[in-house]
Amino acid sequence: MRIFNRIVMILLLAGLVYLGVATVVYIFELGPYQLEDLSNTLGFGGLYEGLNGYVGNIESGNVEALDIIALSAIALLGLILFILELKPPTPRRVRMQRGTYITRRVVEREVSPVVEQKPEVLQSNVKVKAQRRPGAKVEVRASIRPGEDARSVQSEVQSRVQEHMAETGVPISNLRVRANESDPRQTKTRVK
Amino acid sequence: MDDDLQLARAAAEAALATEGVYSLGTGRYAEAATYGPGEKVTGVVVGSDEVRVHIVVRYPPPEPIPALAERVRERAASIVGGRATTVVVEDLEVVQDENL
Repeated sequence: MRIFNRIVMILLLAGLVYLGVATVVYIFELGPYQLEDLSNTLGFGGLYEGLNGYVGNIESGNVEALDIIALSAIALLGLILFILELKPPTPRRVRMQRGTYITRRVVEREVSPVVEQKPEVLQSNVKVKAQRRPGAKVEVRASIRPGEDARSVQSEVQSRVQEHMAETGVPISNLRVRANESDPRQTKTRVK
Repeated sequence: MDDDLQLARAAAEAALATEGVYSLGTGRYAEAATYGPGEKVTGVVVGSDEVRVHIVVRYPPPEPIPALAERVRERAASIVGGRATTVVVEDLEVVQDENL
């Protein structure tokens, strides 16, 4: 979201720079440019009229429901962007203790073999997210054959991963396991 | 600048001397190193108020990874003085058992 906000700011600043340069050129009447022509050149003539009419309508209490919805949506969007900008970024590394971190890749490398040890699991997809508090948020997707008992696979994988991570000591604050039925022809291994 | 390099060298030696540390990490998105004139120490980033040590842990580790990282942090912290010390476990290196 920071990137989106940056793009918005870059576009805004680019517009202001353009406006500033145009204003300087027109103020000093460089070349054939006259200051009174500036608003027409920038295409603000129609905008002024429209804005005038719109503000006049609001002042007289003549606002359509669609306008209220549009203005509320713009205000809400601005608020959401503002909150997302203020929110501190998600850390890249998983915090273990005070001053010690582990990369997400290491956590993935720890979890993935444990999941694939289970014979029913044909393929696994492990996603690790770091959090501001200690411990990683781990999401495991295990591919199983159609007809397998997904619930028992999920619970067994969950307990195996928890046991293994407790042995290695890597903290996991949130572990979610999902077992999805997949076509064995499209998975990493067909038979175990 | 030379002090930073010396500090980085000392922290690197302390980390490598810890049992369970296979090597020093190099960083993933940006190189983790301390730079000096014509020289760099990879695996340790010395900042003005923080020293960050990147390690690769020997697998299987001799003790839980957080405990190992904490031991490296303590060793490095005793060398770097008042600066905050951070240890990043960057990777695992599977090492064959020498007795096999």
